[in-house]
Amino acid sequence: MNPLFLNNQVIVYLFSEAALLALTILLFAKIVKFLWFWDFRSYSNRQLKLEKEAYLAMTIATLLFTLKSVLLIFFVHTIDKLSLIIPGAMCAAGVISANSYGMDLLFIKLTVIFTLLLFLIANSYDLQAKTYPLFRFKSWVLIIASGLIFIEFFLDISYFTHIDTSTPVSCCSALFGNLEGANPLPFGLDITKLLLLFYMLYLGTIIALTLETKTITLLTLLLFGVIAYYGVVYFFGTYIYELPTHKCPFCMLQREYYYVGYLLWGSLFFGLFFGVIWVIMSQVGYNITKAKWASMLLLTLFVALCSLYVAIYYSKNGVLL
Amino acid sequence: MVVVEQLNRWYTIDKKRHQILKDISFHVKRGDFVLLRGVSGSGKTTLLSILAGLEKPSSGKVLIDGEPIAKLPDIHLSHFRAKKVGIIFQHFNLIDSLSLQDNVLVPLVALKIGLQEAKAMAERALKSANIAHKSEAYPTKLSGGEKQRGAIARAIVADPPLLLCDEPTANLDRANSLLFIDALHKLHQEGKTIIVATHDPIFDAIDFPHTIIDLKDGQIV
Amino acid sequence: MLNNSFFYFFTLSLFKNRKRYFAIVTISTLVIFLLSSVLFLSDSIKYSINSQLELEPDLIVQKRLGGRVVPLDESIVDTIAEIYGVSQVTKRVYGRYYFDKEYSALIFGVDFLDEQSSKALAKLLNREDLKRFLSSESMLVGEGVFNYFKSHFYPKAYNFLTPSGKIKSVKILKVLDRRSNLFSNNLIILPQELAKEILGLKSNEISDIALNVPNPDEAANIQRKLEGLFLNAFISGKREMQKEYENLFNYKGGLFLALYLIVVMTLSLILYQRYSLANSLEKREVAILRSLGWSIKDLLGLKALENIMLVLFSFTLGLFLGYLYVFILKAPLLSELFLGKNLQTQIEFLPHIDYLSLATIFILYATTFLSAVLIPVWRVATTEPKEALS
Ligand SMILES: Nc1ncnc2c1ncn2[C@@H]1O[C@H](COP(=O)(O)OP(=O)(O)OP(=O)(O)O)[C@@H](O)[C@H]1O
Ligand SMILES: [Mg+2]
Repeated sequence: MNPLFLNNQVIVYLFSEAALLALTILLFAKIVKFLWFWDFRSYSNRQLKLEKEAYLAMTIATLLFTLKSVLLIFFVHTIDKLSLIIPGAMCAAGVISANSYGMDLLFIKLTVIFTLLLFLIANSYDLQAKTYPLFRFKSWVLIIASGLIFIEFFLDISYFTHIDTSTPVSCCSALFGNLEGANPLPFGLDITKLLLLFYMLYLGTIIALTLETKTITLLTLLLFGVIAYYGVVYFFGTYIYELPTHKCPFCMLQREYYYVGYLLWGSLFFGLFFGVIWVIMSQVGYNITKAKWASMLLLTLFVALCSLYVAIYYSKNGVLL
Repeated sequence: MVVVEQLNRWYTIDKKRHQILKDISFHVKRGDFVLLRGVSGSGKTTLLSILAGLEKPSSGKVLIDGEPIAKLPDIHLSHFRAKKVGIIFQHFNLIDSLSLQDNVLVPLVALKIGLQEAKAMAERALKSANIAHKSEAYPTKLSGGEKQRGAIARAIVADPPLLLCDEPTANLDRANSLLFIDALHKLHQEGKTIIVATHDPIFDAIDFPHTIIDLKDGQIV
Repeated sequence: MLNNSFFYFFTLSLFKNRKRYFAIVTISTLVIFLLSSVLFLSDSIKYSINSQLELEPDLIVQKRLGGRVVPLDESIVDTIAEIYGVSQVTKRVYGRYYFDKEYSALIFGVDFLDEQSSKALAKLLNREDLKRFLSSESMLVGEGVFNYFKSHFYPKAYNFLTPSGKIKSVKILKVLDRRSNLFSNNLIILPQELAKEILGLKSNEISDIALNVPNPDEAANIQRKLEGLFLNAFISGKREMQKEYENLFNYKGGLFLALYLIVVMTLSLILYQRYSLANSLEKREVAILRSLGWSIKDLLGLKALENIMLVLFSFTLGLFLGYLYVFILKAPLLSELFLGKNLQTQIEFLPHIDYLSLATIFILYATTFLSAVLIPVWRVATTEPKEALS
């Protein structure tokens, strides 16, 4: 048997995911029923029952959101710990790329949290109204969320069963460093252009959000997300590690760097989430200024934090890396 | 204040429809005092609970203070209940594990009123219901009449315009029943709209203006 | 917070209904207690092994014939010391001495010319003792060995029988500190020459060679060079050893955890049962609250808060009891299960807590608890308010 399945953290992680999967299946069944039978004007007993069950769906979704967020952090920690028993791995980066499922799994996890957050926000506005105006919309959001959770569970299992503890994996410097001399950056960018794009897209996002132009906001948010990822891995990260060759999105989550990675990635992802949620919600007729402000605030925090590391390094050493 | 039109309530048991209320329509003006009379099983409690939003009608229209409550999502219905209606139950329905004062606090918690203000409001309600001296006592240690006054304090604590009472004197002796009617009279004079469902003949003797609605087999006669 | 009437009501009802939670808190605390004791114990053992391993050399060079480790010739040491990137090359002499069929001890010979080993020795002995240790034929013994000697009437010195048939009398200089007992319990430390005599090694022979590689990037390269150095060379590394231990403990910890998964499943069943049978009193209360204007959302909030409190309370209590049991009471029964019933191994459990382990227990417990009670809680919270009328 794969020795990973004897690791305490892996067991607990998979068990929790399975428990949440069971709740998701229940949730999915309820939502399908909602989409089929929901008729708010009806006085029938069935409708009354559905209205009660909507609260069950809401409770499950809230629990899922909370536990999935906690489990994401736990997952990253577990992976980091597994680097001890997987040859070649020095941190989570090596373990996550031990097979092709790892990165997909991480990405799915983020989208699950995003869709659940979208549901919770849509739900709170739906409950404030008197006729459940967003009921169908939020149900579809939950259908998508459950679908993603099913995929996530499949990836969970595939990921852990396909880690071979005897074949060595690469460490982060090999994965992200450009050892072969090939440019790892997208669109043929170099670092200067990447940074230029980084700050321009940030400004663009803030302006688009202020002007409340939906399409442009969505576009800049998505582009900024991609560029910010590369920016952190290939430029700002090296200032966190104070080492020009250390390029890794995971090591900054460790204690040595005061867990700053959580703040950094957290502010980026939730900044993006709230921005996209603002776009989607205004598409269905709700201009949620709070989400807009949260997005701008978090993204600004993110950019400030990145820049701060560079500034501090420069003021201490008088040179850049 | 209260508008009921073509209200029906039925239960379906084994595919058979049991009609409890049939085509009920009536109006109650603000400040009215209404007696809802009828023998046991005529549907008084059912009608009252529909007016309070505790139960949903099977069809028809119910407007309270201009608000259609027949199809209102739970959050709004609850808020309406906390703000607009005070209910006095036949069995008082005090929570035994809480002191009288904390019992009176319950509707104010639902209205998200700050603790300090809520306590002051509870104190006032207990005083005007003449039970302030027992505010620390627990319901199990109270007599029927005292419980009743506690229930009144709780019903009026959020100052709702509408009071609904279901068989309020069924568990009281004659003296306490008369005291209760006096209390209702006072509240009526303060301008509250009051609907009392009862078959207690003691109400036949009240000497202030009131309207009577007679129910028989779920219909107004 | 203090002026929040909802919070006031919440604490009030939690306090007034404390009897209702008694059974749930007891069962949950018990489960947390069991889980945490096992993890505390295995973490503590892992920790002491790891801190021992830290002191171990990076690489060890041995000679193996047919899988058997055989003595090496000393002369190879100088060749190894010349390899670039290698430091602290140490000759090691050790082996097992069998006192009788049941009892054996590890003999370890120290070389005083070697900087490393004399430093380690200086930690164990003060200068007085060190002089005596060097001048006479004496030894340092672990507690297990000392107990064996005492029970066989050798309280001051022991007569070893060398492979050549000679009797060698060695004085007991000192009994080793209990702290590091996991390794030192059955250990005898001797001057290297004496150890060679007792173990039957020739004077130019040693058991193996230890060395350090300060730059981990060069480890693989150096390992390859060492393997080409002489016939039948066998190189092992610390990292491999760490991995082996990690796997061993995953295995043991995992076995226990698999057991606890069953316990946790039972817990969830019990919780589900208990909550489903939510007594009519609670239902009545909820119905009254709803009839007085509490929304389903308010009630779900109240119940959620209530359950989060129960989870946190029983978690802390169980953890506290687990800590008490393992580190203050020294884990009776459980340590035997874990380490085998080898009474000669007495271990001082160093209080060491791995936060990831705590998080692991918490996640396992919180997920189970909350998923199990979710549906019953929803059912209670949506009790029809008209049930308050009758
Ligand atoms: N859940 C229910 N299912 C089926 N029938 C019901 C239900 N609840 C009430 N009923 C029926 O509705 C009718 C009216 O009941 P209701 O309690 O309104 O009468 P009431 O006038 O208040 O009587 P009483 O004076 O005894 O309190 C009764 O015949 C009762 O059996
Ligand atoms: Mg009745």
